[in-house]
Amino acid sequence: MIPFFVNAKSKYEEKAEKYKTYWQKLIPTYSKLQFAGSMGLLSAGIGWDYGKRNQWETDLLIGYVPRYSSSAKATFTVKQNFMPWKFNLGKNISMEPLACGLYINTVLDEDFWVKEPDRYPKGYYNFSTKIRSNIFAGQRFTYNMSSDKYSFAKAVTLFYELSSSDLYIISAFGNNYLKPKDYIHLSLGVKLQIL
Amino acid sequence: MVRTKTHLLILFFTLFFYSCDLFEYQPYDGRISGETGINAKNIKRIKQNTEGKTTIRFAMMGDSQRFYDETKDFVNHLNKRNDIDFVIHGGDLTDFGATKEFIWMRDIMNSLKVPYIALLGNHDCLGNGENIFEEIFGEENFSFMAGNTKFVCLNTNALEYDYSHPVPNFNFMKKEIQNVEPGQEKTVIAMHVKPYAEQFNNNSVELFEYYVNKFPKVQFCVNSHDHRLEVDEIFKDGITYYGSDDMKGRNYLLFTITPEGYNYEVVYY
Repeated sequence: MIPFFVNAKSKYEEKAEKYKTYWQKLIPTYSKLQFAGSMGLLSAGIGWDYGKRNQWETDLLIGYVPRYSSSAKATFTVKQNFMPWKFNLGKNISMEPLACGLYINTVLDEDFWVKEPDRYPKGYYNFSTKIRSNIFAGQRFTYNMSSDKYSFAKAVTLFYELSSSDLYIISAFGNNYLKPKDYIHLSLGVKLQIL
Repeated sequence: MVRTKTHLLILFFTLFFYSCDLFEYQPYDGRISGETGINAKNIKRIKQNTEGKTTIRFAMMGDSQRFYDETKDFVNHLNKRNDIDFVIHGGDLTDFGATKEFIWMRDIMNSLKVPYIALLGNHDCLGNGENIFEEIFGEENFSFMAGNTKFVCLNTNALEYDYSHPVPNFNFMKKEIQNVEPGQEKTVIAMHVKPYAEQFNNNSVELFEYYVNKFPKVQFCVNSHDHRLEVDEIFKDGITYYGSDDMKGRNYLLFTITPEGYNYEVVYY
């Protein structure tokens, strides 16, 4: 009776372990904080890095736009990052000379629509006020922290990005008046590598 | 080596402070730098400049959305003339209603030597656009005096609003009819969208015509929106609607109101 019981439990434990490791993959490996970047004054979120050299990253970010001429807004962003290269600059410092990718930002506000409402003739505006696509390129510097000294994270990465959104790219196209400083924007951020 | 470091440091700080302007929070963030309340300021200038005049001349243009070069050329062309009292921008300053689009267009129009006023277009209402328009330019419905003529400017972009927001605003029109300005003899009515266009509240066109006819000596109406030159006596009531082309068409309407009547021409630049 007893051995059977123990056996059954260990089989269960095995299954439970497996189950846990599957779900553990969903635990975000880092958190991020970004200033500006057409997705809020400040955006914060989580993400996962993956790939052979962890050269891919996917972020989920919530942004906040304070009240200016219109009401304050929250935004949500899905961001895909690609860092093809990584160099060591010193003992604990490394650099990614290029971090690029795209992100989709949506304004969580009822005055904005994904598709124009039915009251409009078909194809009246042909764009979404709610969903913005952005492209970016930038650089990153990472400091790998010794686990004896710091417990809050494994590494800290500082980064900057230059980005533009679909509306601005369309606007810039075919005229000389708008200059890169009008439609390319700078943002700054920090990433805390936790796992 | 020290010199290179200093140079790099200067370069870094120059780039950094230069780029402070480059931080953007969101294309619809409503963060406005520079001049606001433009219509009210220019209404004062127009009144002063045309005080006591019985002949006034103004340019009617509109639909400048994304036509930055063409609008800049319009401004440069108009600045070479010295026979125009003011300019009416008939609306659609922007294509997407994004905050920066308003600022870019404002900066181009602000380089006009003569005062201008801007009307709210349907594209200017997109997203939170009407909030930005209100801040930079002013109210959706307003009027101003130029010489002996009152210009009544109306928001007619009904499709952009639901029934809780009256477009056209008949209460405003009624108030303007009752409120005859000192020295007002004539009226010109300006709007972005003319009656019977898809944007207009076409359930109310006849009421609209009724109110338009109540204004003292209506000379004509002007509109934009259709992206082509139009001359149309919509209601066969003696009041002609003149529609301006877009800025891509590189032309504008030039109206001269005289004691005897008025005339107009299309000017290409």
